[in-house]
Amino acid sequence: MRKTHSCKRTHSPRVAALRVFALLSAAAMSASMACRAGESALASFNRDIEPVLDQYCYDCHGAGFNKGGVDLDDFHNDSDVRNHALWWRVMKNVRAGIMPPAGKPRVPPEDVKRLMTWIKLEAFSLDPAHPDPGRVTVRRLNRVEYRNTIRALTGVEFDTLKEFPADDTGQGFDNIADVLTISPMLLERYLDSAQTIIAQVVPTQPRVVAEQLLPGKQFATLKAEEPDVLPGAAPAPGAGAEREKDGASGSPAKGPFKRPAPKAVGDALDLSYYTPAIVAATYKATHPGKYQVYVNLKAVENYVDDQFDLNRCRLVFKVDGETLISQEFVRESDKTLEFTFDRSWQPGDHPLTFEVQPIGPDRDQKRLLRLRLNAVTVRGPMAPEFWVQPATYAQFFPRNVPFWPVSRRKYAAELLGGFATRAFRRPVDPETVDRLVAMASSVSSQPGGTFEAGVAQAMVAVLASPRFIFRDEEVEPLRPGQVDPFIDEFSLASRLSYLFWSSMPDDELFRLAGKGELRAQLPAQVARMLADKRSSEFISNFTGQWLEARDIANVQISPFAVYLREHPDPEVEKAIDTFRRLNRVAEEKRTPEEKEAFSNARKAFFTLIRSPKAQLTDSLREAMRRETEMVFAYVIKGDRSLSELIESNYTFLNEDLAKHYGIQGVVGPQMRKVMLPADSPRGGVITQGTVLAVTSNPTRTSPVKRGVFILDAILGTRPPPPPPNIPALEDAASPEKLRTMTLRENLALHATNKTCAACHSRMDPLGLALENFNAMGMWRDAEMNRPIDPGGRLITGETFSNVRELKHILATAHLRDFYYCITEKMLTYALGRTLDYYDVETVDHIVEQLEASGGRSSVLLQGIVNSAPFQQRRQPGTRQFADGSAREPSLLTATNDHAHEDPR
Amino acid sequence: MKTPADPASELRNAAMSRRHFLRGIGACVALPTFGSLLSAKALGAVTSDLRLATTATGAPLRTAFVFFPNGAIPSRWWPGGAEPAFSLSPTLQPLEPVSRYIQVLGGLAHANANPGNDGGGDHARGNSVFLTGVRINKSATDIRAGVSIDQVIANHVGHLTRFPSIELCCDATRKSADCDSGYSCAYQYNISWQSPTTPMTPESNPRLAFERLFGEGPHGERAKNAQRRMMERRSVLDFVMADARDMQQRLAKRDQEKLDQYLTGIRDVEKRIQKAEQFGPNVDPDQPTPAGIPAKQVEYVELMYDIMLLAFKTDSTRVATFVLGHDGDNRSFSEIGITEGHHDLSHHQNNPERIDKVAQIDRWYVEQFSRFLARMDSIPDVDGHSLLHNSRIIYGSGNADGNRHTHENLPVLLAGNGGGAFHGGRFVQHGAKPLSNLFLNLADTAGVTGLSHFGDSTGRLANV
Repeated sequence: MRKTHSCKRTHSPRVAALRVFALLSAAAMSASMACRAGESALASFNRDIEPVLDQYCYDCHGAGFNKGGVDLDDFHNDSDVRNHALWWRVMKNVRAGIMPPAGKPRVPPEDVKRLMTWIKLEAFSLDPAHPDPGRVTVRRLNRVEYRNTIRALTGVEFDTLKEFPADDTGQGFDNIADVLTISPMLLERYLDSAQTIIAQVVPTQPRVVAEQLLPGKQFATLKAEEPDVLPGAAPAPGAGAEREKDGASGSPAKGPFKRPAPKAVGDALDLSYYTPAIVAATYKATHPGKYQVYVNLKAVENYVDDQFDLNRCRLVFKVDGETLISQEFVRESDKTLEFTFDRSWQPGDHPLTFEVQPIGPDRDQKRLLRLRLNAVTVRGPMAPEFWVQPATYAQFFPRNVPFWPVSRRKYAAELLGGFATRAFRRPVDPETVDRLVAMASSVSSQPGGTFEAGVAQAMVAVLASPRFIFRDEEVEPLRPGQVDPFIDEFSLASRLSYLFWSSMPDDELFRLAGKGELRAQLPAQVARMLADKRSSEFISNFTGQWLEARDIANVQISPFAVYLREHPDPEVEKAIDTFRRLNRVAEEKRTPEEKEAFSNARKAFFTLIRSPKAQLTDSLREAMRRETEMVFAYVIKGDRSLSELIESNYTFLNEDLAKHYGIQGVVGPQMRKVMLPADSPRGGVITQGTVLAVTSNPTRTSPVKRGVFILDAILGTRPPPPPPNIPALEDAASPEKLRTMTLRENLALHATNKTCAACHSRMDPLGLALENFNAMGMWRDAEMNRPIDPGGRLITGETFSNVRELKHILATAHLRDFYYCITEKMLTYALGRTLDYYDVETVDHIVEQLEASGGRSSVLLQGIVNSAPFQQRRQPGTRQFADGSAREPSLLTATNDHAHEDPR
Repeated sequence: MKTPADPASELRNAAMSRRHFLRGIGACVALPTFGSLLSAKALGAVTSDLRLATTATGAPLRTAFVFFPNGAIPSRWWPGGAEPAFSLSPTLQPLEPVSRYIQVLGGLAHANANPGNDGGGDHARGNSVFLTGVRINKSATDIRAGVSIDQVIANHVGHLTRFPSIELCCDATRKSADCDSGYSCAYQYNISWQSPTTPMTPESNPRLAFERLFGEGPHGERAKNAQRRMMERRSVLDFVMADARDMQQRLAKRDQEKLDQYLTGIRDVEKRIQKAEQFGPNVDPDQPTPAGIPAKQVEYVELMYDIMLLAFKTDSTRVATFVLGHDGDNRSFSEIGITEGHHDLSHHQNNPERIDKVAQIDRWYVEQFSRFLARMDSIPDVDGHSLLHNSRIIYGSGNADGNRHTHENLPVLLAGNGGGAFHGGRFVQHGAKPLSNLFLNLADTAGVTGLSHFGDSTGRLANV
């Protein structure tokens, strides 16, 4: 255990400071709270705390009772009574009003204050004058940080989300140092990626063959048939017969046949299989000689399960009017198509044209087949006298390579020292530079080696080094009166940049850290970093995990099941049952009656499946995620009140999302701020599409999951998980009854079981208040033909009749809980570690300031970056624990009993 | 389903043609010859190696662990009739064609997956206890499990092959927010643990799994590319090793563990480079590299099984783990008409309709496994037996009854004859014994010596 700073050891200056603080604090509340010289924690407990607990807690947690495994009167000595895990739980549960439970007398505020102060000063032995910054394990870059750091360092877009395995998470975040491990497979990836990245961007030759890229979007459309110029399913007579002979059999298209024009997609150009079109670009040769033309295409399609697109087309590619490619394509499953041609050219214009010729007859357009023209690359002239400097040469080699070996070494040292300093995010030592230069020289001196190739190889070593992969922190010397040192300014620069940008520090942060002025300019730098567009990383990574907005991209919701709950139809349900039942019987074994029943059921089933229904399209999911991010960004960047995250009269929408929400008057695909009608249920995170969908089951809403979400992400009081072997609801109601019950009636059964009620009385009212929103986040007034009743009563006593009133309660009566919650979540994210009991002072302090400022977001951000855990590192040796390590036995090993409330 | 920010769906978009991939298996991969295997072993030095991960005929002995999520409906899983005259249950029915290779193992348990003093979190425990048998530390950040049995075996036999072990999964997307009840997500997504603090992260992308085994690029260029990668890696090893040691010396104890993980990885790469010299050029299967994650789950699972099969067939490794889905997985199976999530359904509250749906999912997983076994059985190994004959594949879950979160009488199968050491076509009731006991048998028969106990083992299992 930590060395305790009890009142007995008044000789220590630290304890003296504590005494002073304790006395000052005590003056503000109760003189009897003062820590008396020579008194033990147990003695102060017995005198000041036990009477309070006796009155309000011991009915369940003392005098022989230990409900939920919590016993608050079984202490025999100081070490017993300093049970950090126990008192931390007490603190959280009392603060949030969960304890004493509803219906029991509340603890008066002055007694709560007395208890809290005793816990901090005595049970936790905290020293408010010298808060323990805790310790952060050396943190490796997670895959988002790695990608962004590589981009900032080299300009390369390296897609780590594809190339690296997912990072494990803890406390809901993927940047927790202790949980970020390196398996042998990931280590291999690090070595190989370093090579791939450097090879992609750092030239190994001073001069190379000139290369010009003509991206697909630069190709102009010369001809594209207008939609429906060719009547669908009616190929010209004769031509059709001929094509039939080609083997194009099968039925022609049934529906209307569309002919999309060539369309730019990023830098590429999509050419539809279905549209006769010609696109062209011109390459201007300046010198005569040999050239190489490289064509890069990809066959793309919109994948649809079990539906095939039988359309075909021919692609013709001509250079200077000469046909170089004439090839027929069927559906090609995302195949990449590459072609290379050698040409001898004179100076002047050389037209390059692509022509798509659909091959009839037109078939159903199931998958929107396209040929994606990525680019045509022209290399040449090949003769060495026309070679040019590689495009990225100046970025890495600002000067010509000196001739003499000594100058070369000096130049290499300058380049590699600079690169390693940025990559390691702190000045690199001369010895490391020497090693890098030696490595570069040895590569350069190999046969065929160049100076550039040597430097490039040393850069690979830098990116493979643990000093790049981990964030290596150092501390400043202790200042007078300090117990724990500041982290040095380079470490601080990295902590800031990875917090706000998920990336490395920029030049400005480096410059300030180099001069030792960063700490002094912190508020201005935080403001600058938030205003910078890179802060979108903080916005998306924090909301993506805190509010689970990332998950909207993949959440599985069945439009069919959702539709049926709002449009119940016994006939359709019967048809589905029949279809499912008979579908399992082999066709040859079905009786004639069954065959007919199957055929009818199938027809009804597919009619419903194909009928237009609301669904979460990719663009809608994207809009939902953007809504969550933009609302958060608006509050954070505008220094607005955090309460607007719960309750606001605005949100961010585009046309699709506004329609989805049933809001009129928003036109166009771009997201923008929209003022909401006075009676709108929207505004605030809990009624955003992201939250409503990711907390739903695939077939219906889940009031329980929604309730748990609000408890965890808004109120910071996550309930324990459900016990296994949940009793069958049949014990409380017949199966027939269950089938027709609403979710509310269903959940009401929880009240019949005491074990269930303990937690469900907390989460069910919250979740049921959101029942007006279906699993896709759309408004509804009824489900299963029964009107929805969103009203309820919170365990803390407040009642509401709809979600608007609930939001108002959360944003007023429970605003302090929300401040605690968001402070803890953001501090966890900022530090990359789990919070511990010794962090309560830091959190309390920020929450106090938030309350005083009306919840301004800048107070939260400044509070975090100025906090001891963000600014300092625990001084080794000052806080020793029993096992001799800096690690204290984890609090999270504490018993987590189902039958009881748990603050986590 | 897709946004550009989402890697998994982007990969899925690649919709690779699995048929192209499958065509190659069985036909086009040149097997290492018997002779070359033996000479490789001779190169591997000591003669005692001949007993390691080797069958009686001298063929490679493979060990695999396949994990399926959320347990299985017990009444549909356990065979009817008395042993040995038993009949396959509805869930296990798909194994009929390969039943002579199957042992249904009754009565095995993981006591350390029970709540004990740790409370909720049966899915996290079900996952991480499955191959470790230890009590894992309940924490969202302080992860401590144990060395898993596949890694124990790999530590002993890994030097015989290019890769000591491979780890695969079909969990391409991760959910945000907390995992199970205060346990770190590391517990819930990893079954293989190299050390108590280092999970062996499984590969979810078939392209990357394939490229790691055989090299990048098209057929014909892979051996060369793999060779180039080796050279490139070698060129930076000295530098980064020195950096890591230097950094490790400066850091506190907990940080040193992290640098240890880095150094372990570096030493693995070093060993691999040495092995490359020992084993000669890479095997290069004559089939296209998978494009990414197939859109259909059935194809995704099958493709991952194929990669495991290829790895075994080419003797690239003799130890593999494969997580079909992590415990607690809530995937819906629209492919078989089940729109509800698997985990939601598994808490069926004794509703017959829900029980039926969960059993259908259990059976779906068994069907995929059976198809994989049939392919393993169709491929002759170097000694003329089938690959399946020369393998031991454990198929199981960390929960027995997903509804009640029990960890006794776990659904566990042993497939393959282990080169003749095991006898299939049986249903054996082992009474209440730790699953860890079975792991001791597997380690023994792989030639692991000096392992007196593992996890919570109480001895060897009789009658395997």
